[in-house]
Amino acid sequence: MTTVGQLVFSGLLIGGIYALMSIGLTLIFGVLRIVNFAHGEFLMVAMYGAWAMTRYLGLNPYYSIVAIVPAMFLFGIVVHRLIVMPALDKPHLVVVFATMGLSILMQNVALMALSADLQDVPPILGGRSFTFGPFYAKPELLIGFAVAVACTLGLRFMLQATYLGKAIRATVQDGEAAQLMGVPVPRIFLITFAAGSALVGLSACIMTPLFSVFPTVGLNFVLIAFVIVVLGGMGSIEGALLGGICIGIVQSLSSYYIAPAFGQMFFFMLFLLVMIFRPAGLLGRKGEATLGIND
Amino acid sequence: MPVALRLATLAVAAVALLGTAASGYAQEPIRIGVLQPMTGPATKNGTENFTAMQIAREMINERGGVNGRKVEFLLADIPTPTAAISETERLTTKDGVKITLGSGVSLLAVPVSQAAERHGVFHWETAGAADIITKRGFKYTFQVGPAAYRYGHAAVDLTLGELAKRLGKSPSDLRIALLWENRAFGKSVGDSIRAYAKEKNIALVYDEGYDQFLTDMTPIVQRLKDVKPDVLIAISFPNDAILFQRKAKELDFNVGAMVGVSAGYSNPDLRDSIGDMVNGIFVSDFAARVNPKALTPETLKIADEFFKRYDDKMKRPPAGHASSAFSATWALFTEVFPKAKAFEPAELREIALKLDLPEGSLANGSGIKFTNNDWPTDPKDAGQNLRASIGVWQWQKTGNNQVFPPKLATTEPVMVPLPNWSQR
Repeated sequence: MTTVGQLVFSGLLIGGIYALMSIGLTLIFGVLRIVNFAHGEFLMVAMYGAWAMTRYLGLNPYYSIVAIVPAMFLFGIVVHRLIVMPALDKPHLVVVFATMGLSILMQNVALMALSADLQDVPPILGGRSFTFGPFYAKPELLIGFAVAVACTLGLRFMLQATYLGKAIRATVQDGEAAQLMGVPVPRIFLITFAAGSALVGLSACIMTPLFSVFPTVGLNFVLIAFVIVVLGGMGSIEGALLGGICIGIVQSLSSYYIAPAFGQMFFFMLFLLVMIFRPAGLLGRKGEATLGIND
Repeated sequence: MPVALRLATLAVAAVALLGTAASGYAQEPIRIGVLQPMTGPATKNGTENFTAMQIAREMINERGGVNGRKVEFLLADIPTPTAAISETERLTTKDGVKITLGSGVSLLAVPVSQAAERHGVFHWETAGAADIITKRGFKYTFQVGPAAYRYGHAAVDLTLGELAKRLGKSPSDLRIALLWENRAFGKSVGDSIRAYAKEKNIALVYDEGYDQFLTDMTPIVQRLKDVKPDVLIAISFPNDAILFQRKAKELDFNVGAMVGVSAGYSNPDLRDSIGDMVNGIFVSDFAARVNPKALTPETLKIADEFFKRYDDKMKRPPAGHASSAFSATWALFTEVFPKAKAFEPAELREIALKLDLPEGSLANGSGIKFTNNDWPTDPKDAGQNLRASIGVWQWQKTGNNQVFPPKLATTEPVMVPLPNWSQR
């Protein structure tokens, strides 16, 4: 019983981390209807940023949020202007190849400039964990989970209650009508893409104390992020949280009870089952993949 | 005047040119193609190996070269397996190289030796360990460093020979767990450990492969906690080794001794990544610096000179693969080349196959005796060095010290049993 409890608990917490790194991707997909294949490399760049601030300025990696999140917002603006925007009105494949090309470029530049060496920041509390009865959990994971939940709620509040959120939803529902009503649609796209990048920046600061940073670190996570986005319902913010948690727990339990080498196989099986029986994803609604973010 | 001056200059230049041409003819350098990953993911191995090889080249040239002939390197950068093939072909077909030296890591050694063999080039492999390198029946490939399966044997020998005693158990009562990443190197070492343990009638209490890209180690650590091993032998890459150690600490998984095999645990940056958590971990690896008593007096002098020069250049002691690169290159210059006349691959092969150097003849404690297709234990093997030194070193507070086998050891193993996480 303790073992199952620990596995579920650990799966839940790591699932929160997975969700956090997927929210940016789902936001961008939900509004712009494009898949950013360089998502993993955005994460890598931001993790290097968080690592560098810890290593060279001696900051706690969590403090680097104040610099990394705005920096990634700006980075998102640049990428959107240079790569995404020119491709938006072209056939869908153009964006796919453009972002994929960006992904390869970023990986190789990082390999050249930073070498393949692993970089790490020291864990908080010296890597010790809190105990809750018989269960263990690292503070970094608890913080990550809390941030993931807060992010989901915050984003939902923003979409429902602020003018920007309403403009985003209007753009998603009918871009042309929104434009006629005075919503600056191109700017909404720009802001959303930048905000998606900023969210990747946030998750990078949360993940740096947990995972080593290296030029291809994005590859370890990007597949999980894609699965989560589709599983949760493409463009659904709460779906990403739920999807992340599901993947975390399924991976944890199946790796333990069957074999660690098959952990990924089982969450892909779950993914296939959901796709067969609920093609719109757990929290998505029919047609949402073409409709975009839900309101 | 200017015309006269110009003529004079021309004359001087002509004489100088003739002079070099003449002396060049008399002492034509021995040209060797060196293949190393100087960029890309294995850059670190490549640059360290190349530095060690350069030291060997400088040392031999300062001593007057090989029978008066200087040694010259033609370096080719091989960041990927594809580049490894094309660069080996370029060196052999365009530059006419007949001897190659390399190649950083197993992943690159496999294609380099393949291309070299195709062109009938003599290939001297210092770092590539994969068993497959010598299992393809190649004529001209010589693997001077230890083959992968011997990493596994060293880990088991340490466990049964040293650790059992220090854990106060008989080898047959020892609970040994084996964890391996499920790609080429991890799997082949894992297989060798399983087979070797069976040979010694030891049952493993845990034997499991995992994917290198696993992002959560909880299930593995939890399973290990269930089986309560005395010794854990793990074959890992750097990223998963770090994730595993952190998770072990998080979930308070304690084990009597931890033996890592190569890449993940031998990575010199591991201490930067996980700090003092690294102390006490054993690593089965190429031997870097062995007990001076294990070396012949002449070899000891050469070894000391290498360590000093390496330290001057790199500001740190060489890792095992760099020691191996130097030792193998030095053996090529001093044991193979002096006996050669034509420097043709067939001739060099004959010389190499006749080498019979006892252990302790090379700076890293190795000797040389190559298999030759008809070796009784594995008839398909060709050019594997049976006397390549392999041993176990330990991350200790004072640095990385060789602890096994006793003959090569510079210090005793410490921290056995490993203190619980709460006490370290």
